[in-house]
Amino acid sequence: MRRTLYVLLGVAIFAALWEGYKLVGSPDGTVLFGVRFLPRADDLSMPHLWTVLQRLGRPELTGGDPVWIVVLHACAFTFGITAVGFLGGALVGLLLAVLMQQFRIVERGLLPYVILSQTVPLIAIAPLMAGWGGTIMPPWATVSVIASYLAFFPVAVGLLRGLQSPTASGVELMRSYAAGWWRTLIKLRLPASLPYLFPALRLAGAAAVVGAVVGEISTGTRGGIGRLIIEYSREATSDPAKVYTAMLGAALLGLFVAGVVSLLEVPLMRHRRHVEVVTL
Amino acid sequence: MTAVVVDNVTKVFNQGRSDEVTALSDVELTVGDGEFVSLIGPSGCGKSTLLRLVADLIQPTTGTVTVAGKSADKARRDQDYGIAFQQAGLFEWRTVLRNVELPLELRGLKKAERRAKAEEMLALVGLADFAGHYPAQLSGGMQQRVAIARALAVQPPLLLMDEPFGALDEMTRERLQTELLGICAKTGTSTVFVTHSISEAVFLSTKVVVMSARPGRITASIDVDLPARDEAARQSEKYFEHVTAVRQALRGVPAKSAT
Repeated sequence: MRRTLYVLLGVAIFAALWEGYKLVGSPDGTVLFGVRFLPRADDLSMPHLWTVLQRLGRPELTGGDPVWIVVLHACAFTFGITAVGFLGGALVGLLLAVLMQQFRIVERGLLPYVILSQTVPLIAIAPLMAGWGGTIMPPWATVSVIASYLAFFPVAVGLLRGLQSPTASGVELMRSYAAGWWRTLIKLRLPASLPYLFPALRLAGAAAVVGAVVGEISTGTRGGIGRLIIEYSREATSDPAKVYTAMLGAALLGLFVAGVVSLLEVPLMRHRRHVEVVTL
Repeated sequence: MTAVVVDNVTKVFNQGRSDEVTALSDVELTVGDGEFVSLIGPSGCGKSTLLRLVADLIQPTTGTVTVAGKSADKARRDQDYGIAFQQAGLFEWRTVLRNVELPLELRGLKKAERRAKAEEMLALVGLADFAGHYPAQLSGGMQQRVAIARALAVQPPLLLMDEPFGALDEMTRERLQTELLGICAKTGTSTVFVTHSISEAVFLSTKVVVMSARPGRITASIDVDLPARDEAARQSEKYFEHVTAVRQALRGVPAKSAT
């Protein structure tokens, strides 16, 4: 209840800032030393929020579906791509983390490349992956590959940290039970890594959304919200509110994914919710 | 059959490197069935190392360790001992009951069977009412009792304890000492107990093994025979005689055998 209130408060503050700036900001933006310091506040650059909401209700093209339906479909399409990319990335991250935890030499050898992978500009590798579409996989799957490329990183790094978190006495205890590598992983290392894993998964979820949106744009995949943003932005001079509807959709998609990921932790983190200490 | 035989064991860490340390040198130790043996000595004397050798968490450089008539490695694989450390080391994501069930789970016991056994062990340490709690909800002393219940769960013939009460306050400590003696008497378990408290060693043990540092070796072995081990025993003359004997042995004064 209280949380809902805070969320609504956040939305209200954003709306107040947006409309407030429109009220006081210069329509041509504020230029300082030849640089535009503050954005233009005219209706073309910053349409009124209610114009954006109204635009959602009107048809995309004359006689077509209303914009909100088109945006929703695009979000659903991108969500599918994101979900596949997220799962694939999480799986790859899990395998890498387990490998790196088990073999010190793999950690030393691989971790720098795992970090390096994220410094390669996505725009540079996306066209390469786009080439796989239609031959070894359907075109949408290449976007999932791009999403997973961003999503695996936080999982690999976060989970590695978590798998290494058990104390020496915990590991020795498992050894005293004659538990091998696999059972130590299942009974000790994986459960101990959960507090590290969940924040990593949330980051991975957000990264997968970004990867899917950017991937759609750079591979030219049709049907998703990323593509819709590009399409609508071409009409920005005549219909400025339209591109904002697509951006709103992308933002809501990101929130939705973050929400779904945090639901995962509810059943698994039960022990964190009891804190009161009994003394006897 | 003897519970533990440590025969002429030497343990060298980082052998052949510049930071080579001889942790134990020519150690001989025998723990008979049902005996309670304390290892006591200054820090760095290798008492924990000796315990870990018995537990097969590390291997001796030379010499042999025999547990329950088998090699230490075989004994560990057969779960012939239970172990408890200074830190309770409970798994915070498991309830108290499921923590005690852990060694039984790894032994492959059926769910109902291990539940019954774990409940029995929790009753033994007086925590039957806290089975559903998580470790974070318990005080340090209670956590340590859960750890002892966990060590006893497979009903091992041998219990290894590495300063299990070291982090507890004096009152809790004394209460748990009494409880531990009761449990050992009830289950007939042999125990190797590492401590650096003289009074604790004397109160609990049938034999106190005194060690010295650099290199770690056994300097004295003092048999303790107290007529009873209750609160009155803590005040008895005999008790203080043994405490003095152990203290002198620790200081390097030749121990006159306590009678």
